Amino acid sequence: MQLKQTLIIAITLGIISITAWELYWRSQGLEPNIDDNKNLWTNQREKLDDNTDNNVVFIGSSRILYDIQLDIWKEKTQTKPVMLATQGASPIPPFRDIIENTDFNGTLIVGITPPLLFSTTYPQAEFMKRSQTLVDYHKTRTYAQKLNHKLSIPLQSNLAFIRDGDEEWDSDVDLKTLLKQIHLKERAGPFFPPFNNFEEITLDRHMKMPQRMVTDTAYANTVKKVWKTILSGKFPPPDKEATTNAFLELANTFKARGGNLILVRCPSSGFFRHVENMGFPRKDFWNTLAEKVGSKAYHFEDYEQFKDLELPEWSHLSHASAQFFTTELIKIMKADGALTNSKTN
Amino acid sequence: MLFNSLSFVVFLVLVLALYYSKIFNWTGKKRMLLLASYIFYGLWNPPLVILLWISTVVDWTTGKKLATEVNQSKRKMWLMLSMLVNLGFLAFFKYGDFLLENFVSLVNMVGIEFQARPMDIILPMGISFYTFQTMSYTIDMYKKKIEPAKTFLDFALYVTFFPQLVAGPIVRAQDLITQFYEEKKATANQFIWGLFLLTIGLFQKVVMADTLLSETSDIVFGSDKLLHGIDAWIGTVAFSGQIFFDFAGYSTCAIGIALMLGIILPDNFRYPYASLGFSDLWKRWHISLSAWLKDYLYIPLGGNRHGITKMYVALMLTMLLGGLWHGAAWTFIVWGGLHGTYLILERLQRRYLPFKITKWNGIFLAFITFSCVNITWVFFRARQFDTAWNMIKSMLYMQTEGEKVLQTFDIIKVSVVITILFLCHWIMRNTSMKEVSLKTPTWVLGVFWAIMLFLIVISQGNGEQFIYFQF
Repeated sequence: MQLKQTLIIAITLGIISITAWELYWRSQGLEPNIDDNKNLWTNQREKLDDNTDNNVVFIGSSRILYDIQLDIWKEKTQTKPVMLATQGASPIPPFRDIIENTDFNGTLIVGITPPLLFSTTYPQAEFMKRSQTLVDYHKTRTYAQKLNHKLSIPLQSNLAFIRDGDEEWDSDVDLKTLLKQIHLKERAGPFFPPFNNFEEITLDRHMKMPQRMVTDTAYANTVKKVWKTILSGKFPPPDKEATTNAFLELANTFKARGGNLILVRCPSSGFFRHVENMGFPRKDFWNTLAEKVGSKAYHFEDYEQFKDLELPEWSHLSHASAQFFTTELIKIMKADGALTNSKTN
Repeated sequence: MLFNSLSFVVFLVLVLALYYSKIFNWTGKKRMLLLASYIFYGLWNPPLVILLWISTVVDWTTGKKLATEVNQSKRKMWLMLSMLVNLGFLAFFKYGDFLLENFVSLVNMVGIEFQARPMDIILPMGISFYTFQTMSYTIDMYKKKIEPAKTFLDFALYVTFFPQLVAGPIVRAQDLITQFYEEKKATANQFIWGLFLLTIGLFQKVVMADTLLSETSDIVFGSDKLLHGIDAWIGTVAFSGQIFFDFAGYSTCAIGIALMLGIILPDNFRYPYASLGFSDLWKRWHISLSAWLKDYLYIPLGGNRHGITKMYVALMLTMLLGGLWHGAAWTFIVWGGLHGTYLILERLQRRYLPFKITKWNGIFLAFITFSCVNITWVFFRARQFDTAWNMIKSMLYMQTEGEKVLQTFDIIKVSVVITILFLCHWIMRNTSMKEVSLKTPTWVLGVFWAIMLFLIVISQGNGEQFIYFQF
């Protein structure tokens, strides 16, 4: 055995096979992509540790993440947006974190997605745990983890097969995820339909829906199928009282220290909206919450210009619609005197 | 810092570049290695480096005193100081909450109403490993088995040497400190072999443990229901494979990295799942801990010097404490107790029902040993006794009405991986990777290495922590 020759063979074949793997995934239409993950969230959260900037903070779920276009927000309001919305999660844990662990008292915009906010306050529930995990990670992230994240960015930005998502729905192409897609005989319940990627996010968490979701209806339908599967599942009834009270307590504390709280109900359509209207009627949930909180509150249904927005998968706006929505929402808020720290020039 | 992370790749390249550059003399290189080791540890939680410093200073001072002190009672006092500091750290950081919980349960049991808030103490990574390592130095010094370290730098590097700092192998002073006395430099073959071992270790961790086995085990042990027998067995053997690949993977990485620096670390695993009985198992699984427990616990407790009954007591106590070493929970103690019971039963069998192991019954015996080991892993992995009992019930009664939580492919995947693992261990049990590699054609080894590299890269992983870091 010649160890030097062995090493040369290993390196040569290793490089060839990895290059072939990258080319294969590119041939399948995959492009280098940054994944929304706990590190991106924590990088944003760290901006609040030293709250000297003219920040506007967003919390909520994926809707406000997709629907507010940060470039437009920055340009039109001359504020620095900090995007802390969490996909598929309740805003309560991040809200509590802001109250308890920061002295932030600027503008806080909360995206309200009724099924996520009003379901429960039980800490082990999926919606709560998901955003609490991010809050905890911000507190416990080690220097090594921070360094790993920084080193992974050039790889994620240049190689299609390198992904760094935390969630089941992140369409990674690592070996574990690929093995999970092998479905033989069903044994432990039905297989979950494939959850195709529909996110393009930047390092400062500016999310855009990819154009493919608009042009490729079949692709968008795969996401609709996932929503249908999820929404057709069995859920416990919403815990309106506990969730509203928990939110209200945080809202009052925030306002008492001079914070400017704004609630936004982002658009939904189709089957998603139908389920929301059935399970979380506006008058019982949104209206009650907005009234009790007593802050500025904006529901998309109240504005004529938001009637014909494009939601390719019923829950999030296409990029063009999100740009329009952001622009119009800023106009509405400014006219309403809601954005107290935005510069008018 | 984790071996399976990008930051470690950069760290290792920098350390190797500095180590093999001509900037430093040997003392300078050792200083650099020491600093690198503190950075390696501190990037996880900087303040906890202070614990390492305290352990180092206390045991260095103790060692020096023990080398010169002739008064026996003073020597004992110095040894006690070292034990007190090291075991005190362990008791506070690792067992603080466990002791408090049990104290509260005890006083409640006798009718005293008392509640205490958990202390929520952070567990310093690898504390059980480095405290045991430094204690072995002071105990050996007390017993006059070894010479004191020549310099503080050599001793500090012995305590902190980054490849084995947080998860072993637990190295004895005479095996490591003496290697620091003279300049070490890996030969080209040693360096490449070290790199090969690092690749094998990462392959075991990233591909075998994290990609192929961990999720199945997590699903099964995460369930609070009474499971179908197949699910319970598959989840258990998946964990069995996961913990082997995870821990042996770390040790193999550590040995490989040290070898790239020209430092030799001892083997920590020798194909344990092909063990013929439990004495054999503990000569093959976590060898450095087994040897530590034997030398510093079992023998001082009397070993086999005071009759059979006392030997069994010593054996059981050693295994119970060995279980507790792994984690502050009663489930770990039960795990240790089961291994103690197995060892005692094996000795009884040898005494009253001896039989010869042949090549025909060997694999059957290895399989029986492996199956019994799997039963113990249930208690090691389950966080609650309820989960463990449910699992044992499902496994032993082969519940067919139990909940099915695994899909068909998961069952096939784990069965194939574990069968291959068992057969590989059986084939390799009397040989070594080095011996096999010497007989393997160059191109075959090159292709095998490339496949491992490729699978590591496409598995990516997300820097999941090694299981043994928590011990």
